[in-house]
Amino acid sequence: MSQDKAKSVSTTGHVWDENLQELTNPLPMWWVWTFYLTIIFSIIYWIMYPAWPIGTSYTKGVGNTITYTNKKVDGSEEQKTTHWNMRSKLMSEMNAHNAEQKQWFDKVAATPYEEVSKNAELMNFVNSAGKTLFSDNCAPCHQAGGVGKIGFSPNLVDDVWIYGGTYEKIQETITGGRNGMMPAFKGVLPDDKLKQVANYVLSLSGEPHDAEAAKAGDAIFHNEGGCAVCHGAEGKGNPDLGSANLTDKNWLWANVPGQSTAEGKLDEVVKLVSGGMSRGKMPVWGGRLKPEQIKVLTLYVHDSLGGGK
Amino acid sequence: MATASVVTSEQYNYDIIRKFTIMTLVWGAVGMLVGVYIASELAFPFLNFDIPYITFGRLRPVHTGAVIFGFGGSALFATSYYVVQRTCQTRLWGGNLANFTFWGWQAVIVLAALGDVMGHSQGREYAEMEWPIDLLIEVVWVVYMAIFIGTLMNRKQPHIYVANWFYLSFILATALLHTFNNLAVPISLFSIKSYSLFSGAQDAMTQWWYGHNAVGFFLTAAFLGMMYYFVPKQAGKPVYSYRLSIVHFWALSFMYMWAGSHHLHWTAIPDWTSTLAATFSIMLLLPSWGGMINGIMTLSGAWDKLRTDPIMRFMIVALSFYGMSTFEGPMMSLKDVNALSHYTDWTVGHVHSGALGWVAMISFGSLYHLIPRLWNTQVYSLRLINVHFWLATIGVLLYITAMWISGIMQGLMWRAFDDFGNLQYSFAESVAAMHPFYAMRALGGAFFLTGMVVMCYNMYKTINQGNTEAAPVAAAA
Repeated sequence: MSQDKAKSVSTTGHVWDENLQELTNPLPMWWVWTFYLTIIFSIIYWIMYPAWPIGTSYTKGVGNTITYTNKKVDGSEEQKTTHWNMRSKLMSEMNAHNAEQKQWFDKVAATPYEEVSKNAELMNFVNSAGKTLFSDNCAPCHQAGGVGKIGFSPNLVDDVWIYGGTYEKIQETITGGRNGMMPAFKGVLPDDKLKQVANYVLSLSGEPHDAEAAKAGDAIFHNEGGCAVCHGAEGKGNPDLGSANLTDKNWLWANVPGQSTAEGKLDEVVKLVSGGMSRGKMPVWGGRLKPEQIKVLTLYVHDSLGGGK
Repeated sequence: MATASVVTSEQYNYDIIRKFTIMTLVWGAVGMLVGVYIASELAFPFLNFDIPYITFGRLRPVHTGAVIFGFGGSALFATSYYVVQRTCQTRLWGGNLANFTFWGWQAVIVLAALGDVMGHSQGREYAEMEWPIDLLIEVVWVVYMAIFIGTLMNRKQPHIYVANWFYLSFILATALLHTFNNLAVPISLFSIKSYSLFSGAQDAMTQWWYGHNAVGFFLTAAFLGMMYYFVPKQAGKPVYSYRLSIVHFWALSFMYMWAGSHHLHWTAIPDWTSTLAATFSIMLLLPSWGGMINGIMTLSGAWDKLRTDPIMRFMIVALSFYGMSTFEGPMMSLKDVNALSHYTDWTVGHVHSGALGWVAMISFGSLYHLIPRLWNTQVYSLRLINVHFWLATIGVLLYITAMWISGIMQGLMWRAFDDFGNLQYSFAESVAAMHPFYAMRALGGAFFLTGMVVMCYNMYKTINQGNTEAAPVAAAA
């Protein structure tokens, strides 16, 4: 037996690879006792929580129950008390927060839009609930704060409303969704006439344009092209159809403000008129969100984002 | 000395160890580079450049594959082949089979990375490789096991050294885990797409039985084997306690297999599996610490070497991070802590304190010990090892601090309610809040990667001045 002189603890007597040895020190006592402690902790945990499988069942845990309100398929509610389990724990926590929220949602649901909007306390709730509802459900398209994105989704902060900006119209839009489209005019109109119409459209909002071409475009817009059928004789659009107002300098599908040259702007409008547009799809939220959540969102969009009228 | 190297180069197969050692350095640099890039993508998404091949989702398994199986795996092949030969005093069994494990394993890493980038994935974490690659791994692994056991059986020592127990348990467990986790049915013989044999909660539990024990046996037990050889060797001290090494080895081997389901707390798994996983994780704390205690106590009495020997510093810091992350892990496996930490960056930070702090640091220390001996030379620059040490340490600290703050903040934001019972924050707000910490994490990774590059340069110079030929007998005489 060789000896480690410094500590005078003996080694096991084996030597590997010239000098590898092992001392015979005992297990550190704090290590042993802490290990036992973790075992005791585990045994207590097993007694309190579902832990060991027995046949097709398992130990359910002692003295550790959870009570929660369960909503059945037929809509009726029942109180349930079970042994501790992850799902019931979630249900009971959801019950607690839902109960807090519910009194406020109920108040908003029972109060007309105009009155909610004047009630500071209710509007505090609308701003709090609306912000999260909007950020989680609407912001992926309408962007943070509802500023929208040209070519993708409408801005909800400005005063422009494609389908109308009243409480009722906003609620209708959220609940039922929208399906905005414009037919393609390529083939319907020859290329030179597409350019003339585009010049006329640009003239409506004071953008740089060829006056002569715009004059020819005016005629096409109102007659041959049939543009006025949807966009109106004055080009001011129609909220019932969702056709855009072409005179308000507000662009959604043709990125006119993003182009610095007159040719670029013309090109954007020509592209839209010739290719049409089928991307104006707002999903249906009725059924996915509860009516009172949609009401809160409507108030949030109308009052808090600041674009309602 | 010269006669000693003549004997060793004839007695032992060092050639295979040199190959694996070089690939350890290569995969370390490649894997960490990819890691830094995807960390930067998370902080600055434009770095995707809208190219599908380099998006986070495809590069992430390239990163994990290259660092775990490329860097870690090659380091384990190299050190286990070295340790088993030297402690059994016999040449590696199986002759050229060792070369097959080298080329087979390198092929696996390359094919897996190509598959990931091209979008082929089983969707199983750390096992994204589709079935043809899985079969190749199976063959390579069985040959590896045969070589290792064959060498053990040829040993010229009556007892098997502790490091070899750990290596053997790692090889056995990995074979078991890899086989069962990858049971899948290809949709046709000529398609690389396959579907798992398991479904639903069972599939998830098989995945995390694998995932957790890959950490347990691949990244813990195996590197403990490395520690049990290289720490006493570098310190020139005997292992502190033989008894502790036996007890913690068996406790660790027995308990690890139970703990995987703690990755699935608060999901659709049965409650009792969740409880058992949590409690076995708690009971795993002290068996894990057994290795740390044995390592640190082995170094005690050699503390003065810390001032002069940067290799020793790598080892002591590795053991410290090992102790810290094996404490953190059981805490995170408690259901209530997990309710906060799950799905957050805290998990990512935890993994990296183990992967960078423990696995990579102990490998660096061991390689700095190993490489000069493999090439019969001295380290080119001790100073550069010291530079590497500080770059790596600062890198890990930046990384895990960033992830702790970001993770706990995420967890708290997700569960915050206001006075009305509404969720206080939207998900997007929590993402925006994480941005500075994502940038900090990428910076930490860059530090760590720089250290790795410094090591590659230093070892390139070392190997260049080295000599793999046996010293001429005449010179020795």
